[in-house]
Amino acid sequence: MHRIRIEERPNWQQLAKEVGFHFHTIDGERYWDESACYRFTLDQIENHIEDPTAELEHMCFQVVDRVVQDEALLQKLAIPHSYWDYVRQSWQNREKNLYGRMDFSYDGQSPAKLLEYNADTPTSLYESAAFQWVWMEQAMEQGLIPPDCDQFNSIHEALIGAFANMNLQSPLHVASSQGSLEDEGTVLYLEECATQAGLQTHFIHMEEIGIDEKGRLTDLQDNVIHTLFKLYPWEWMMQEEFGKAMPTSGTTFIEPAWKSILSNKGLLPLLWEMFEGHPNLLPAYFANDPKAHMVGDTFVRKPLLSREGANVSIHRAGESLENVEGPYGAEGMIVQALHPLPVFEGNHTVIGSWLVASQPCGIGIREDNSAITKDSSRFVPHVIRD
Amino acid sequence: MKRSKSLKLALMGATILTMSACDSGNEVAAIFEDVDECARYEGQDLDQCRQGFEQAAAEHIRTAPKYTSVEDCQADFGNENCEQAPMQTTSGGSVFMPMMMGYMMGSMLSGGTRSNVATQPLYRSKDDPKSFRTGDNQKVATQTGVQKVPSNVTKSPSTKTSTLRRGGFGSTAARMSTRSFGG
Repeated sequence: MHRIRIEERPNWQQLAKEVGFHFHTIDGERYWDESACYRFTLDQIENHIEDPTAELEHMCFQVVDRVVQDEALLQKLAIPHSYWDYVRQSWQNREKNLYGRMDFSYDGQSPAKLLEYNADTPTSLYESAAFQWVWMEQAMEQGLIPPDCDQFNSIHEALIGAFANMNLQSPLHVASSQGSLEDEGTVLYLEECATQAGLQTHFIHMEEIGIDEKGRLTDLQDNVIHTLFKLYPWEWMMQEEFGKAMPTSGTTFIEPAWKSILSNKGLLPLLWEMFEGHPNLLPAYFANDPKAHMVGDTFVRKPLLSREGANVSIHRAGESLENVEGPYGAEGMIVQALHPLPVFEGNHTVIGSWLVASQPCGIGIREDNSAITKDSSRFVPHVIRD
Repeated sequence: MKRSKSLKLALMGATILTMSACDSGNEVAAIFEDVDECARYEGQDLDQCRQGFEQAAAEHIRTAPKYTSVEDCQADFGNENCEQAPMQTTSGGSVFMPMMMGYMMGSMLSGGTRSNVATQPLYRSKDDPKSFRTGDNQKVATQTGVQKVPSNVTKSPSTKTSTLRRGGFGSTAARMSTRSFGG
């Protein structure tokens, strides 16, 4: 695994504009960054990332299986009591899931360590699945990288295949929150994939969703929403006014409700408890667990339900070294042994390993200037070349 | 190979445009106000006229826009043009819907091939009373008879309900200040 400085495609900003990839630069700061790429060997990709991702997904299923049957654990994960049956049923009915992203700390040599699992509302999808793919095709064509590169990235194909296999009722409604260009871009891309899978799609903002007298969800044209892809966290929906309508709404949600167990940072101590010592796991405990000290004096403290690094702090020898402010944490915290991100040319690098329909199918790499990956990180493409 | 074999350069913002661009074909449809008008039209068969009407009338109940107040319905469709729907809200309230002002079906004149036109009711809105519209509020035509219609109006209309309230999702996001609500 190496970070290699390369030339940018001269026309890439024009291309980004044409395809609607508007958030390549955010507040004047570069987000899509092709002035470098990461190079992996096939062995690194297959044995250090792909296989562990598949194995961890299998372990995660065992966690879900356990949690849905254990009310003390549902409580610990701060899932509201009124949703326990609903979450359990979504799992027992084997409601299909679409996608997720596991974040790893991996330096090319020692085993990749799972930092967290964005199982409910992962973003950076378009740049991983499509823009990165096109970058490599064009960079090879233009001689910016050797012509025999490959990439761990069948995300696009996998998404179309997954939509086709989910037996969804058309039209598929897709929703994101108002005011986030990035999230709207992500769902537009998913609409494109769903369309290629033969589904009709219909976009709506989360805020515009209505409810009818029977408790069914409706769109702005008063159509009943039968299937809803929502780029909006389960734990927020469960707290909001229409949340209580969801279990009886008849709507099929993507992701399904059982994903609320996996997107919860409480997954990490549960994995450690069930698979202690697994090479791809870091020691982790609920912060109020009497055994929490076993994590050592160098650890990361994370809220159960934080996003984009908010409210995450790094502790060493009793001192808080780095602390990202944010609105989370009231629901409980976990501690996880610190496994610092590898640093390549001054960049802290995290690997996002994508799963579609629970199958590993690609990676996207983000770099940050600090040790906690935040929403200020940069996306850097990768290649496979032995 | 570890990557997608092909990938038509996927668009983010332009998705909707490309979809409608592929969707601009025309279909031949038969549009009539009632069975009598249909049966008088050259080439139409009485049985088919009747069958189409009955099918559209059944679809009418399912797919007509629904209202919990007759005033709201009249505001959209005109004072004389609303009726009570054969259903009630769960709290026992009345439901109103516009009257069916015509119907559309596939035409036997379209060349003998199976028609792609879903048989369905048509409506006239208060602000555009000259046009027939689908239950999904798509403009179809201004005249009756066998004619070409845009293919986006020929699919089966969706189930309609009446929305009581909106805005019950999104309050958490409104309190956040991140650029993405994912992660």
